[in-house]
Amino acid sequence: MSNLANQLVIAEREEVARAIRLLLATPLIGAGAAPEAFDLVRRRREPVEKWFDYYCGWSLIVEPRLGYARLAKVRVATDPTRPARRHRTGRAPFDRRRYTLLCVVAAELLGVPVTTVGLLADRVVQASAVDPVLPPFDTSSRAERMAFVDALRLLESVGAVDVVDGATESFVDSADAKVLYRVDATLLMRLLAAPVGASQVAVTPGRSHTDEVPLRFTELLTRLSRERRYGDADEPVSEVQRNLRLRHSVFRKLVDDPVVHRDDLTPSELAYLESPTGGQLLRRAADQAGLLVEERAEGVMLIDPDGVATDSRFPDDSGNAKVAALLLLDVITAGEGQVAVEQLRTEADALLGRFPRWAKGYRGEDGATRLVADALDVLRAFGLVRLDGGVVRARPAATRYAVTRTSADDVEDES
Amino acid sequence: MRVPPEMFRFTTGERAELYVAILHAFGEANERLETALGLDDVRARLRSVGWLDPLDDEDLTGALGSLRDWRLLDVTQNHAENYRTADEYERRNLQYSLTKRGEAALAGVVHAMGVLASTGALQTAVLDAIADRLGELVAQLGDPGVPDRRIFSTLVELEGHLEALRGNTKQFNGELQRLLRAEGADQETFREVKSATVAYLQEFTTNLEQRAHAIANRVELVEARGVALLHHRALVGAELPPTSGGDPAVAWSELRRARWEGLRAWFLPVDGGTPRVRQLFVVARRAIIALLQVLDRITESRRRSTSAAADFRELARWFAVAPAEEDLHLLWSTAFGLGSARHAHLAHPDPELVGSSARWVDAPPVEVSALLRSAGRTERFSRTGRVRDVAAVKAARAESARAERAALKAAWDRLDTGGGMRLSQFGRLDHEVLERLLDLLGRALTAAPDRHGVHRATTGDGRVEILLGPPEAHRGQAVLRTPRGVFTGPDYDVEIRTPGGRAARRPQGAAGGAATG
Repeated sequence: MSNLANQLVIAEREEVARAIRLLLATPLIGAGAAPEAFDLVRRRREPVEKWFDYYCGWSLIVEPRLGYARLAKVRVATDPTRPARRHRTGRAPFDRRRYTLLCVVAAELLGVPVTTVGLLADRVVQASAVDPVLPPFDTSSRAERMAFVDALRLLESVGAVDVVDGATESFVDSADAKVLYRVDATLLMRLLAAPVGASQVAVTPGRSHTDEVPLRFTELLTRLSRERRYGDADEPVSEVQRNLRLRHSVFRKLVDDPVVHRDDLTPSELAYLESPTGGQLLRRAADQAGLLVEERAEGVMLIDPDGVATDSRFPDDSGNAKVAALLLLDVITAGEGQVAVEQLRTEADALLGRFPRWAKGYRGEDGATRLVADALDVLRAFGLVRLDGGVVRARPAATRYAVTRTSADDVEDES
Repeated sequence: MRVPPEMFRFTTGERAELYVAILHAFGEANERLETALGLDDVRARLRSVGWLDPLDDEDLTGALGSLRDWRLLDVTQNHAENYRTADEYERRNLQYSLTKRGEAALAGVVHAMGVLASTGALQTAVLDAIADRLGELVAQLGDPGVPDRRIFSTLVELEGHLEALRGNTKQFNGELQRLLRAEGADQETFREVKSATVAYLQEFTTNLEQRAHAIANRVELVEARGVALLHHRALVGAELPPTSGGDPAVAWSELRRARWEGLRAWFLPVDGGTPRVRQLFVVARRAIIALLQVLDRITESRRRSTSAAADFRELARWFAVAPAEEDLHLLWSTAFGLGSARHAHLAHPDPELVGSSARWVDAPPVEVSALLRSAGRTERFSRTGRVRDVAAVKAARAESARAERAALKAAWDRLDTGGGMRLSQFGRLDHEVLERLLDLLGRALTAAPDRHGVHRATTGDGRVEILLGPPEAHRGQAVLRTPRGVFTGPDYDVEIRTPGGRAARRPQGAAGGAATG
């Protein structure tokens, strides 16, 4: 009596869990860029599809022949620390220019199956010129070409355009660069995950974008993410829709955010999570995804022990800012749970003294200020602190990284 | 087709417009039956055809001279007039007229402009007209009382309609192919033209077969009456003018025969090939399909990609005017949903230890690398620990598989009776061995007994065989003991054979060993 069948079940569970977490980390997996991950998702497509659909209401599209899997993550973003990033060393976030160019480029690419970098740039020049809101695109400026190339390389990285000949990067040096692209229009369209198209969300006619968009910005984001299946009105119409909406909104936060404090949830979401059904589903979902649940009085977090479903880790030593973040967090949690930024600067100075080999960027006059700012960014990205004026407050989950008695002694011994 | 040299020289060069205007003026004059024009007449005519630029005598004479050199104009001297002054003589003496070549050249240009301006058409009316004229011819040929002139005019009409059919079809086909090739500059009008063309073609092809059939029938009827007779009577009715170069009737009849063959080629080829009207049908049908496909693609791509393109454009505007840096990133995440999830990776070794109602501050902290705090780097136990050592796993699995097989083998060995024995003789067994035995007994009992009442079965892999004889009536229950309990059942006669079994071993010994062991 062999246990082969059991082993297959175990293997399947592991693979499904891994596929779920891979998709959480990379909602668009290309066969070219990540063949193993794509293959895994392709093989375990059905249960993974069901998992996302049931818990989060997110649809997963797997195109075995075209070679990509796309998880359409629908949610109103509240965390600005996950920007698009440039495909360069440093991985700096996109700026306004790059985001704008990315969208214009995508719009222009939709019309053509094959194009060259020069033709595309011309089209972007024309499209920008006729639009009263968009700034003109000037190919004679190196900075502009650089931004254009960054936008293109993002599209390249997700597989929406394919470089047939040449290298996009060469356009930075010369606007005469010869690069040939093939465009995947379907994939381009699938880059938009929001259920409502931006062009459907009409900005009031007669008022210019410049006036209106900034005023209504939050509302615009909400309207982009509105899904009809929960009922058209703000109040869901049926009990079923209400439950569906609660389940999806709770799980979207749980699976996407590092920690969900109770005050991040609306009263009804909180009630749902605390209900027997909610608790049961939470544990089942986490179990199927290979995540651990940490439930405390102040909130819940899903932990990925393998660090698959995350873009960044904490605590970690992959950068001076992260190490500083951990050490500064000790300072923040040690006191009343709140501390002035000013005080952290003094601590940062001490850290820079303690670690003489830390990056040059943090040396010099306001190095400590920069270090504190970067470290606080890390902590905010993991939902551990809140910045309120000049005061940093620890959030409840921060204490899980507090120094234990013994390790505190160790530190004192060594330093 | 060989065009005489210099025939169309006048259409090129910087004075081409003047040359064309002059020829045009002569053409107009010819229509009013004025064939020879003097210098002043030419000037007057030029104004009436729309040439309003100043033109001195020298230029005009030069232009006329060039046209004459190209043999498009003839010059004659007019001696019939009375000239009162020498000046008058010089101006009015020379008279210009179009040569035949000039007429042809002008006709060529006019025709070319006509083709450029015209659009081809497929008209069912033309087909009907052809059928009607043929019908008339049939009737007229059958009636000797009909004057030859009527036959002539009907034939000319028929040929005119055929010519119209050929010309229109040629042009229409040209346009159709261009339409199929063209990839739209202006998608909207392009789409409209295409859909209109499809409707037009569908209209035309409806009943095309019947019309073509009717025409072919009437062609046959005319031929039955005699094409030679038709042409002869038409020739008589034509009343050809006399010309200097030979009998015009020969060339005329030749032309009629060629035209008739043209008609047959369209509707009833002599060699039984495909009539051209049939090809027209095929072309039209193909074009309809191709156009519909293109239309589909246009509507499809318009519906999907234009709305997506509009979405991207609108997003670009929002990005351009979004209030703060952070808003850009929020818009990016919301619209594209390409961002990663983010999670902690450090957990308690046993998460169950802490209750869910505990506060974070009261729960023990997770174990953060002490080295990270003290030296700013981790030992990476958390990470490397998670990377699965495949070799070790493989080895472990192989080891467990080996152990499993060994246990199985031991169990079989233990069960191998080496001959027939009674079930009760097993006496005491390990629990795992009993499980194997029960498995075998189950298999045997589900198999149908042979005529001696013996059940026979093998394990799934066919390596172990069991023979189960019915217990004798007087026997009591067989009792087997294992560390976990007691099994009782009918005391069957059992024989179990394993591969490489211990045939040398005596059955009683095995059972006895088990019983005492």
